[in-house]
Amino acid sequence: MKEINELNFPDDVRYAKSHEWARTEGDTIKIGISDYAQDQLGDIVFVELPEVGDTFGQSEEFGTVESVKAVSELYMPVAGEVMAVNNTLEDAPEKVNNAPYGDGWMLEIKADNPAEMDDLMDNNAYLQTLKG
Amino acid sequence: MTISTLNTHKPSETRNASTWLSIDFDLVEYHDAWALQEKLIMARRAGILQNDLILFLEHTPVFTLGRRGGRECVLVSDAFLEKAGIPIIQVERGGNITYHGPGQLVAYPIVDLQSARIKVVDFVSALEDVMLQTVKTWGIAAERNDANRGIWVGPKKMGSIGIAVRRGISFHGLALNVHTDLRPFSWIQPCGLQDVGMTSMQIESAQTLSMQQVRAILKKQFEVVFGIKFTLQTPTDLNAILEHAALKDSV
Repeated sequence: MKEINELNFPDDVRYAKSHEWARTEGDTIKIGISDYAQDQLGDIVFVELPEVGDTFGQSEEFGTVESVKAVSELYMPVAGEVMAVNNTLEDAPEKVNNAPYGDGWMLEIKADNPAEMDDLMDNNAYLQTLKG
Repeated sequence: MTISTLNTHKPSETRNASTWLSIDFDLVEYHDAWALQEKLIMARRAGILQNDLILFLEHTPVFTLGRRGGRECVLVSDAFLEKAGIPIIQVERGGNITYHGPGQLVAYPIVDLQSARIKVVDFVSALEDVMLQTVKTWGIAAERNDANRGIWVGPKKMGSIGIAVRRGISFHGLALNVHTDLRPFSWIQPCGLQDVGMTSMQIESAQTLSMQQVRAILKKQFEVVFGIKFTLQTPTDLNAILEHAALKDSV
C-alpha cells in the first residue's frame, strides 16, 4: 500500500467523493475507480459490471469490486446509459490495480446531462479530500 | 496494524469516533441479522446512528454463498440439507460458500470506513488481528495464510472473513469457530481451496471453552486493535432508536 503522495491523480479526469473517476472522451464519458480506491481495496479479484444499455442515475450503484474478501459497491459519477463495458476485466481484474485510469477502465456511458461533470472534483480538490 | 493511529486522523466532524456500540445477541437467524445490518447501514449513513457498532452473535445453522456464488461447491443433495434443516442463502459479502452455526462467534462491524479513513485492506487485516490475538489468549498459535484470508492453524481454518462495503460503510464481518460442530463444513468444498480443513478453538486448545469468555476477549481485542472503547447497547434499545427514526420518516 502506498502513501497518498505516491498515488497518481491525473488532471484529465474528474473525481467523485466515492472514489470513481469520469473522463469526457468525445460524445461519451469513460468511468473507472481512482488510484486511491484501487490501493485501499487491495488486490482486486473480481469486477461485476452492468450490461450495455443499462441506465443509472447519478450516485446509483452500477457494480461491485471484490478484493481481499471484501465486496465494495461502485457508484455512477454521472447519470447515463451504458454504451460499453470493459469485459477484459472478467479475466484480468488486476488491470484495475495496475492501470486504474487506462486498461482498468470500467464503463463508457452516454451522459443524460454532461453538466453533471461539474459536480465532480478536479484532481487538486480530490487530493485535498484524501489528505483532509 | 496501525488502525488505531489512523483513528487519530479522523475528520473533526466525525464525533464519537472512538466509542463504538457493542450489541449482544444469542442465537439469531441469518435473515434477521442480515435485515438488521441493512437497517443499520442506512441509519449510520443518515446520521441516526452516530457511532460505529458491532453486532456479536451466533447463527442458527446456515450455509451462505458469497457474491460470486459457490452453489456448485455443495457436496450433498438438497434433500439431505432439507432433512438437516440447513438453508442456503445467497448474500453480497466477499468470499465463497461458508457455514455458520451454534458455537461459532460472529461479529458484524457496521463501521463508516470512509469517514474514518480506514482502508479496506487494513480493515480486513485488523479483523484478522482481532481473531489472532483472541485465540492466543488460549495458547493457540494461529497465523495468516497466503492461500486465503482469515486465521489458520496449519492447513486448517479457524476463523473466516467476508465483508461488504456500501456507501463507505462496512457490513458482514468475521466468524470464529469456538466450539462449532464442524461436520457441516465437510458437506461443502471451499472453492479453489482443495484439501482445506476447518478447526475450532476448542479442538486446538483441547479445553472446554465458554462462549461468554471468548466474546469478552474478542471485544477486548477489538478495542485494542482499533483503538476504540465499546459502550454496551441492548438489542431493545437499538430497535427503539431505529423505530423512532422510521416513525419520524413516515410522519
